[in-house]
Amino acid sequence: MLEQLRRWFGDRLPIAEIVAYFSKKTVPQHKHSFWYYFGGLTLFFFVVQIVSGILLSLYYKPSPEAAHKSILEIMNRVPYGWLVRSIHSWSSNLMIGCLFIHMFSAFLMKAYRKPRELMWMTGVLLLFLTLGFGFTGYLLPWDTMAYFATLIGTEVPKTLPIIGDWGVSLLKGEDEIGGETLARMYSIHIIILPLITLVVVSYHVALNQVFGSSVPLGTIEKKAPIPFFPNFIYRDIGSWVIGFTALICLSTVFPWGLGEKADPLASAPFGIKPEWYFLPLYQSLKIAPSTVFSLSGELIINLLVGAGSLLWFLVPFIDPRASRGQKTPVFTALGVVLILYIIITIIFAFIT
Amino acid sequence: MKLTVPPHKPRRDFLSTALGIWGLLAVVPVLNVLVRYITPPKGTPTTRQSLEVGLVDDIPRGTAKIVRFDREPVIIVHTSSGQFKAFFARCTHLGCVVKFQSEGAQGFHCNCHGSDFDLNGKNLSGPAPKPLTALKVTVQQASLIVSTTEV
Repeated sequence: MLEQLRRWFGDRLPIAEIVAYFSKKTVPQHKHSFWYYFGGLTLFFFVVQIVSGILLSLYYKPSPEAAHKSILEIMNRVPYGWLVRSIHSWSSNLMIGCLFIHMFSAFLMKAYRKPRELMWMTGVLLLFLTLGFGFTGYLLPWDTMAYFATLIGTEVPKTLPIIGDWGVSLLKGEDEIGGETLARMYSIHIIILPLITLVVVSYHVALNQVFGSSVPLGTIEKKAPIPFFPNFIYRDIGSWVIGFTALICLSTVFPWGLGEKADPLASAPFGIKPEWYFLPLYQSLKIAPSTVFSLSGELIINLLVGAGSLLWFLVPFIDPRASRGQKTPVFTALGVVLILYIIITIIFAFIT
Repeated sequence: MKLTVPPHKPRRDFLSTALGIWGLLAVVPVLNVLVRYITPPKGTPTTRQSLEVGLVDDIPRGTAKIVRFDREPVIIVHTSSGQFKAFFARCTHLGCVVKFQSEGAQGFHCNCHGSDFDLNGKNLSGPAPKPLTALKVTVQQASLIVSTTEV
């Protein structure tokens, strides 16, 4: 019976061929192989986000009157609601953390070299999509911190020439943060971004299956590469077990809190800060002078971030020497400086 | 009778070109509808010119009150010297609602990025690029009236 069933599916779904392909595909083994696991971990936390997000959407009510109360209901009345919400919040942070590690390790290992340019570019696209998830999801609990962080975030594009005001109204959906903003953020968070992300992430992962993992320039592979299936996938699952354990520990030991319901008339509370992954931008906006050569400080920061993001996206074409197998220490130094800037601004934002 | 094979290629080329042109022509109106749909309609313009915000006694000296003036928060301050001042309360940097500083040199502070303003709304420090927009405050029979006639 079982054999018949296996044969029936085998005739209609080429499982054997797929398994054979993955068994033939190999993953290099060297002293930097450890960093390969962060891509899989990011994907794992993304799946956790989808599952926990679907569960939250069963009870969440996206309106300024009901949003905060519905989160309170989820946390206090729905069985394990506090855990699901805590998992969703912690997993988003862990996902972004793993994504940063994955991206910077890929950058420092020059994994964007030919023929992996599109892998790098889809990866950078996924970074922006993930930050978009973080930003749009932040308003949904409708607490004070969420309200002011979104207020600041939606005002950021206003200094951009021509499209600035339009960009702000597009994000807000009305003149101030209110019901329309919440509806927009919710729609972007649960429909638009997931759809785009699923397409991009599928392409990113498919490219990885075709081209395999990149070996850093000058790295000697002392050990033989291992088959992707089952050897590497088992190790990957091992990293997911560790990630899941860390997630459950964080979610239960430090359950995610909820602030007071947002009051649009209240002054911004003392110590208001965005999530840690937006702190470099926050701190840059804070230290920027109000005007530089008659240009506003915000405009300069916006232009710098925009230009920097574009250059980051196009790195494979800016560093063609790496594709020719030559060492490019300037780009390594650039990556290190960027990592240091991110760490230092996050620390400064926390202590000031 | 021998059948001749119709020359498919020119017909396919024509179809591909026609579909391509149709696609290009369709993109413009579709994008137009999409962009206009997601751009929110303009809010109703403010018609209110003044607002009674309460009694003079509601705001003791050295304190402030925030009220809603149509869609905008307005902060009314009763200074230590007995004057009433009012400003649109949104920080001119990124729109957070400012807080009245009653201690030390009185003024306004934005907790979001640390901008400071004096009691006349002038930006003193931090990233705020402009002063707060001042409003006119009048007292009519012990009631405080704030009006959009800028000072």
